[in-house]
Amino acid sequence: MGAFDWTVIIKNMPFFMKGLLTTFELAVVAISGGLFFGMLVGMARLSHIKLIYYLATIFVNFFRSLPLLLVIFWFYFLVPIIAGRPLGDFVSASVAFVVFEAAYFAEIVRAGIQSISKGQEQAAYSTGFTYAQTMRYIILPQAMRNMVPSLITQTVVVFQDTSLAYVIGLKEFLRSASIVDAREMKSLEIYAFVGLVYFIFCFLMSRFSQKLEAKRGAAK
Amino acid sequence: MIKIINVSKWFGTHKVLDNINEEIHRGQVVVICGPSGSGKSTLLKSLNGLEPFQEGDIIVDGVSLKDPSTNLMQLRQKMGMVFQRFELYPHLKVIDNITIAPIKVKKIPRKQAEEKAVQLLERVGIPEQAQKYPGNLSGGQQQRVAIARALAMEPEIMLFDEPTSALDPEMIKEVLDVMIALAKSGMTMAVVTHEMGFAREVADEIIFMDEGQIIERGTDTSFFSQPKTERAKDFLSKILI
Amino acid sequence: MLSYDFNWSVIWTEPYGTWMLQGIWTTICLGFISWCIALTLGIIIGTMRITPWKPLRIFATAYTEFFRDIPLLVQLFFWYFAAPSILPGFIERFLYRELPNFEFWVVVVGLSLYTSSRVAEQVRSGMQSIPTDQYYAALSTGFTHLQTYRYIITPLAIRIMIPPLTTECLTVFKNTSLAMTVGVLETTFMSQQIEAYTFRGIEATTAASLAYMVITLMVVLIMGLIEKRLSVPGLITRRR
Repeated sequence: MGAFDWTVIIKNMPFFMKGLLTTFELAVVAISGGLFFGMLVGMARLSHIKLIYYLATIFVNFFRSLPLLLVIFWFYFLVPIIAGRPLGDFVSASVAFVVFEAAYFAEIVRAGIQSISKGQEQAAYSTGFTYAQTMRYIILPQAMRNMVPSLITQTVVVFQDTSLAYVIGLKEFLRSASIVDAREMKSLEIYAFVGLVYFIFCFLMSRFSQKLEAKRGAAK
Repeated sequence: MIKIINVSKWFGTHKVLDNINEEIHRGQVVVICGPSGSGKSTLLKSLNGLEPFQEGDIIVDGVSLKDPSTNLMQLRQKMGMVFQRFELYPHLKVIDNITIAPIKVKKIPRKQAEEKAVQLLERVGIPEQAQKYPGNLSGGQQQRVAIARALAMEPEIMLFDEPTSALDPEMIKEVLDVMIALAKSGMTMAVVTHEMGFAREVADEIIFMDEGQIIERGTDTSFFSQPKTERAKDFLSKILI
Repeated sequence: MLSYDFNWSVIWTEPYGTWMLQGIWTTICLGFISWCIALTLGIIIGTMRITPWKPLRIFATAYTEFFRDIPLLVQLFFWYFAAPSILPGFIERFLYRELPNFEFWVVVVGLSLYTSSRVAEQVRSGMQSIPTDQYYAALSTGFTHLQTYRYIITPLAIRIMIPPLTTECLTVFKNTSLAMTVGVLETTFMSQQIEAYTFRGIEATTAASLAYMVITLMVVLIMGLIEKRLSVPGLITRRR
C-alpha cells in the first residue's frame, strides 16, 4: 500500500479543474433550467383547470418515481433521435437534469405557494388584482421567501446529482477523477480529494441555508 | 404552602425574573397578570421545576426546589398544570389522556383510574367525550379535558398558564366556570390570566408583573378600584375595555 | 423526424427477460437490506443529536454532515476502489477475489451510511417539531424524562416522521441504481446490458423504468398501510 502520494493530485490539477468546471456548468444549467420549469409546473399543480393540473401532477409523480440514473440514460438515447443527429453528452445530460430536477423544484414551489394563507389571495382579489397580478405581486414574493431554505437544499442536491453524468461518459469532476485513477492507480488519494472538494462546497452551502433559516426564525 | 424567595432567572443576558418574593397559602387563589413578556408564565413554570432559575429558592410544602436531593417527579405529582394550548396527547383518547399518568406514575390499576377519569369528566361537564380523540374536540372541551387530566393526579395545587387565551370567546366561559367551581371547592390555585371577571370572583390575591418584577399586589377590590402604580393603571385601562 | 423503429419484444426475449427479473430481484434485496440498516443507524444517530450530552451531539452532527455533503456515487467509489487499499494486503485480496458479491456489500455499506444520515436528520426534526409545552405537560403530571419519551414524545414523533421517511425509503430504492457503476447486476445495469447486446436502449430503459415505478408504488402502499394503522383522528401530520 505504501505512503500517501498527494503529488498525484497536484500533477493532475489542471485536468481536475477542467472536470470541476464542467460540473459547475452542468449544475448551473440544471438549477436555472430546473427552477424555471419547476416554477411553471409548480403553479400548474395548483391550477383550477383540471387538464393542466393532471398533466403537471403526472409529470411530477412520473419523474419522482424514477432514479435519476435511468432518466439520464433515457435522454441519452432519446435526444439524438428527437434531434435527428448526435448532440453530445453535455446536451443530453443537460436536458435530462433540467427535466428531472424540474419535477423536484415544482414540489418546492407548490409547497411554498401553499404556505401562503388563502386570506392573502382573497385580499389581493378583493382589491381588484387579476390572477397573474396576485401571483406576481402578492403570493410569489412571499412564497419565494418561504422557499429559500428548501431551494438551497435542493441546489446542494442537484450539485451532488451532477456526478451521475459520469455514467454517460461526460467528463465532469468524478469522471475526470476516475480517468486519472485509471492512469495513476492512486484510488485512495484521488477519491479522498474528490470527496473533500464536494464536501467543502456542499457544507458551505448547507451552512448558508441554516444561517438563513435561523435568521428568519429569529425575525418571526 | 409555596414560598418564593428572591428568585431571579436569566435567558442568556436577559433577566426574565427579577428578585421575586411571594407566598401562596393553602386554599388561596392567586391571579398573576401583566403584559406579555413580563415573566408571568416563566414564574408559573418555575413553581414545579419546569423552568430552572439561577438565584433564590422555591419551597413547596417545606421541600426546596434548589436542593439537588429533591425528587422533582414526586413534587410535580402534587402540582397539576394546565397549559395555554391544552397540550393534550393527540395520539391518545380522552380517557387515556386522563388515565396514563395515574396508571404509569402512581401505578393505580387501570379500572380504578378509568372510574376516576369518568367522574372527573362529569365534573368538567363532558362525560360523553371519553372515547374521542383530542383532535375531534373543540378548544373549550380540550381545555376541560386538560383540567381533568391534571386533577386525576389529585394535586394539592393547580397551576394555570393562560388557560383561556387560545380559546374562542364563546368557549371561554365554559372553561372559567370549571375553574371557578374548582376554586370554590377550596383548591389552591395559581392562575396566569387576563380574565379580570374571574379574578374579581375568586381571587384572594392579584399580582401584577412587568419586566420580570412584581410591581403591585393587592386583593381583588383594592387592585381594581385603586391601582397604585402607573403601569398597573395603564394595563388595566387596556384590558378593561 | 422521429425515425426509430420500436421493438418491444427484446424485453421478454430470452435471455433478456431473465436478466431483467434477476436485476429487479437484486434491486429489491439491495434496497431492503440498506433501508433496514439505514433506519436503525439513523434512529440511533438522530436520537444522539438531541441528547443533553454534548460529545454525543457533536459526533452525531459531524456524522450527518459528513455523509450528507458528499455525493453518494463518490462515496461508493471510495468504498469500492479506495477503502480496501488501506487494509492489509491479504484482506484486500480476499475482498476483491474471494468474497462472493463484494460489490453488492460495498453498495449496502455505502448506501446505508449515506441514507442513515438523512434518516437521522428526519428523526431529529420530527422530535424537535413537538412543542416544549407538550414535554412540560407530561412532566407536570409526574412523568420522568424516560416515561415522557416512552409514552408521549416517541409515539407522536413516529407519526410525524412517517411521511418524510416514506420519501427517504423511496430514495433508497432509486439510489440502488448507482450500484451498476461498481458492477452490481441490478435493474439499471441489466437494462444497459440488454442495450449493449441489442442496441434497443429506449425499450430496455423503459422496461427498467416500469420496474422502478412498480417498486415505488409498492413502497408507497406499504407505508400508507402503516400510516393508516397508526393514524389518529384529528391529528394533522405534515404534508408530504
